[in-house]
Amino acid sequence: MVNHALVLDLVERVGAVATGATFTVGWGADDPEVASETVAAWCERTGNQLVEVGDSFAVLRRGRAADPLLDLDPDQLPGTRLWMYTNFDCNLACDYCCVRSSPQTERRALGLDRVRQLAAEAVQAGVSELILTGGEPFLLPDLDEVVAACTSQLPTTLLTNGMLFTGHRLERLRRMDRQRLTLQISVDSATPEIHDSHRGKRSWKRAVDGIRIAHEEGFRVKVAATLPAEQLHEVEPFHVFLDTLGVAREDQVIRALAHRGVSETGIELTMESLIPEVTITADGVYWHPIAADHEDQLVSRELFPLKNAIDEVRARFVEHRQRANAAAAWFPCA
Amino acid sequence: MDPILVGAVAYTPNVVTIWEGIRDYFADTDSEMDFVLFSNYGRQVDSLIDGTVDLAWNTNLAWVRTVAQTDGACKAVATRDTDTVFQTMFVCRTGAGMTDLTSLRARRLALGSKDSAQAAILPVQFLAEAGIGGDDVELLRINSDVGKHGDTGRSELDALRAVLDDRADAAAIGINTWEAIGRDQLMPGAFEVFWESPTYSHCNFTALESMPDERIQPWVDHLLAMDWENPAHRPILEMEGLRQWVLPRLEGYQSLFDAVAAQGITARW
Repeated sequence: MVNHALVLDLVERVGAVATGATFTVGWGADDPEVASETVAAWCERTGNQLVEVGDSFAVLRRGRAADPLLDLDPDQLPGTRLWMYTNFDCNLACDYCCVRSSPQTERRALGLDRVRQLAAEAVQAGVSELILTGGEPFLLPDLDEVVAACTSQLPTTLLTNGMLFTGHRLERLRRMDRQRLTLQISVDSATPEIHDSHRGKRSWKRAVDGIRIAHEEGFRVKVAATLPAEQLHEVEPFHVFLDTLGVAREDQVIRALAHRGVSETGIELTMESLIPEVTITADGVYWHPIAADHEDQLVSRELFPLKNAIDEVRARFVEHRQRANAAAAWFPCA
Repeated sequence: MDPILVGAVAYTPNVVTIWEGIRDYFADTDSEMDFVLFSNYGRQVDSLIDGTVDLAWNTNLAWVRTVAQTDGACKAVATRDTDTVFQTMFVCRTGAGMTDLTSLRARRLALGSKDSAQAAILPVQFLAEAGIGGDDVELLRINSDVGKHGDTGRSELDALRAVLDDRADAAAIGINTWEAIGRDQLMPGAFEVFWESPTYSHCNFTALESMPDERIQPWVDHLLAMDWENPAHRPILEMEGLRQWVLPRLEGYQSLFDAVAAQGITARW
């Protein structure tokens, strides 16, 4: 039976707080199911929000919390881009790799069929760009088909270390759609020392050669550098170097080293602190590509339907932001 | 030109949010405004009359008292659409068998705060008009929020609790409280309305007669232009409980003027 005084308590309590603030009502030993249904019905009718239900209480918000998704730049909206880890094995063993890739790492390939389905569903889900990464994608014998499955649907960026543009792999590169594909090649410094110290001897020269080859083949090339946070303010010489390679300034990406994977240092990144970039691997849906090998950022084991995965990531982001906003409101002076 | 200064009573923390939103709406217009919050309507009306504020967001009782204290040298310039059709609802326990105000003879009626027009002053007037005098019904007065003219709704909720607890057979509440509890739909078997009052007018923006029209009219025009369909305006309208600002319906205050006169309610506190 409905506890009639509960509704009166709700009306009185909501009047005592400002819009956006939360409050708690209790119902003692009343039937929790009936009480929570009453509270939910009252919220629905009066435009307030049921935040949490316990056995003998409910937490409510006066009005409805602002939609955190509306606070984002449209380009940051989760699901605008779809990241796909084509594989995890790599010809390098970088000492800061966020997903622990190396020549010894198991391939765990996403596979052509799943990439094809993901690319098709991405269009339906409103994704505007596909990004392929690894591991080193050029280790895959069918990479040209994987890329074609993506570029046939959406503009695509392919991340690579740029070191394998020879022989049959160069032939695969040449079969890719230059109008729809951008290559993003990793280079960490303007001279070999720093780059090679992380990625291996002679890797800098081969990567720079890879940029030149990609340009010669008619591809747009972006360059991404991974730097310790303390070096991010000393990047101008690096930009000048990339200018000499013909990489446009807007295609020069500098990113901070993350404390993930095999990296022993770097900035800490959690689901609560990261705006998500929906990421698909052979193992599941992840919050962000930086943590695509870490259970703490696994969102779901189910890749399909892709729209459900994107919706789940968005819902969790909204939940995190609202919880953070509530915490800020509760502890304004702490 | 100085901003128009509007007085309002702080009956809920939300008042700050509401008035900051309204102030923002008037920013960068020809009639910018600021606001002052008062703890009670008595202080607010005093401040309107002494010129501290240019406009007062008054309840219907505050309006009646302003008219009395200024000998009518004041004007109501705008109101909410919901203020033009306000009602008092008489409710009892579902199945109590009450059918109209005469059902209250020899019964107990819970009233809200004594300065609440909707839950105390007008209900007594409605009873009198129905031929029910003070000896015919036992009045349980619940003065939970005196000074705020029933705005908090707390005394009306307490009146409803009195009915649930069998300390009263019926309660008189404003239609806004009836809506807030979900009418009779969220608490099946709890309450039913057995008499609804005629509609009357509730709050309005009050100015002194001496306030020049050329100063107040642009402010009123801009207020009336607030648009429910405009996403930037909607939150304020929702929080303040209206869909459209409108011109006041002055004849809707007559029943309260009559009640105040009949019950000998003084012009001051």
